[in-house]
Amino acid sequence: MTGRNTAAEADPLLRAEDVSARYGHVQALQPTSLVVAEGEIVTVLGPNGAGKSTLLRALTRLVAGRGRIYFRGEDVSGLPTHKLARRGIVMVQEGRGLFPQMSVRENLVIGGYLQPGEVDAQMKAVFELFPRLRERLDQTAGSLSGGEQQMLAIGRALMAKPQLLMLDEPSLGLAPRVAGEILSTLGELNRRGIGILLVEQKAPLALKLAQRVYVISLGRIVAELKTDEIASYHDLARYYLH
Amino acid sequence: MPNAIEFTQSIVNGISVGLIYGLVGIGFCVIYNASGIVNFAQGVFVMLGGMVCQALLTSLGIPLILAVVLTIPLVALSGLLMEVAIVRPMMNRGATLFAIILATLAAQIMVERITLLTLGDRPRTYEEFTSGGPLKLGDVAIGYQLFWILGCGALLVLALWLFFTRTRSGRALRACSQNREAAQLLGIPVARMMLLAFGLSAALGAIAGILVTPTQYTAYNVGTPFGVNGFIAAIIGGFGRAGGALAGGLLLGVLQALAIVVLGAGFKNVAALSVLLLVLLLFPNGIFAGFGPNAKAH
Ligand SMILES: Nc1ncnc2c1ncn2[C@@H]1O[C@H](COP(=O)(O)OP(=O)(O)OP(=O)(O)O)[C@@H](O)[C@H]1O
Ligand SMILES: [Mg+2]
Repeated sequence: MTGRNTAAEADPLLRAEDVSARYGHVQALQPTSLVVAEGEIVTVLGPNGAGKSTLLRALTRLVAGRGRIYFRGEDVSGLPTHKLARRGIVMVQEGRGLFPQMSVRENLVIGGYLQPGEVDAQMKAVFELFPRLRERLDQTAGSLSGGEQQMLAIGRALMAKPQLLMLDEPSLGLAPRVAGEILSTLGELNRRGIGILLVEQKAPLALKLAQRVYVISLGRIVAELKTDEIASYHDLARYYLH
Repeated sequence: MPNAIEFTQSIVNGISVGLIYGLVGIGFCVIYNASGIVNFAQGVFVMLGGMVCQALLTSLGIPLILAVVLTIPLVALSGLLMEVAIVRPMMNRGATLFAIILATLAAQIMVERITLLTLGDRPRTYEEFTSGGPLKLGDVAIGYQLFWILGCGALLVLALWLFFTRTRSGRALRACSQNREAAQLLGIPVARMMLLAFGLSAALGAIAGILVTPTQYTAYNVGTPFGVNGFIAAIIGGFGRAGGALAGGLLLGVLQALAIVVLGAGFKNVAALSVLLLVLLLFPNGIFAGFGPNAKAH
């Protein structure tokens, strides 16, 4: 084992240092640092308007932001969104971000843009996770139910073979049972080795899944907790007050 | 009143010129979908297509097929240049779409003037692709070039359809138009897609210009009417829908041709603009907005 190798093993999957973002004069995200270790599920909780989406958008460079981002120890701060995807950093946007007028099949095929040779195999794997998508293949994405749309959004992201999957409120607008199903799928993906950074408002569901939680409020991280240290959800509630 | 022969004749002519409008209209859609920009220099590509092909044919005396094969990439290059030199820098500096659209209009006028100053205002043309003709069907005469326009136009539409639905780049372009951020997140290089859109659009305009020139003429200023009519075709079709632009172009071409025989040549543009106003008043999202799986207001 060389020294360099050991160092690489110690490097987390994602390390963000003082990442911040502003919209015009509004500083929506104060300098924020966070870590996602290999094989970890990390949840970001926080009230509406706290800056959760802005954080994910800054990490994927959909909004220009300051600060440094390291992926497996490598500085990827200067890379644009599509090159981050090539490294394996893929996000499922708030509101799912589907191509609404395209069929389920086309959404998935485009998801495999970076892996053109593996589209069929990847699609099979997606159908194993979400058998319902197979039945809807030729339906337009916009005509799916909310739960199916979220399945498609996640399935499409998986087509790109992510190593770090970020999800912005995947349970938004879903019935609790469907939300539970979707989140448990994330657990399954995580067991297959995909690191997950999950933004959620449905704290109970997310806490069951995650190993660690960041609480964000007014554009800054106000707490970092291990989920097994949280005695009750009331512990969290005080961070929501401001 | 015109007789049945004149009527048939004008409908046939209208279809061919309408197909050209449709191609220009599709060019508008391709760029608009990829970037949100209405490229007012679209007509320039049509003019350049005719001019470059004419220059290659007459001054170099090379065979038609070679001239065509050279003209298309040359004009496509001018589209790439426009993206790289005007659109991209303005976007990077955060210019509003409005300003960029105005810049494309400026580019159109500039290219037109430069062409006038260097090549003069002499109208130019070249022979139809197949000599002989016109074909006589009873009393209706159809120039052979019309078949070239119909044939090539149909092939092109088929090729575009295959490109947009079956190829990786074509799908990626459509993905950009439906959700640019999602496309980026999946690894699609949106900036490169925009370049592709400008090149493709310019190539379409060039082909339209090459096809149509033998039926009329080309000169420094033919770009504007083709641009305007292609723009109207795209609006009739519900801006952004390639199929709609094609149908809009055919409708517009036939209506103009009928207006010429029924009302006189002076009414050609009156007819076109009346149709435009009518469509805008009655169907603000285009006549074809309500149909098909792609129906959606942009
Ligand atoms: N495009 C934008 N332009 C200006 N301000 C914005 C923009 N997007 C977000 N903001 C502001 O930035 C702050 C953080 O927004 P953000 O969307 O990141 O919050 P969030 O935590 O994701 O909220 P939610 O739970 O409602 O999704 C808010 O005050 C919001 O108003
Ligand atoms: Mg949000």
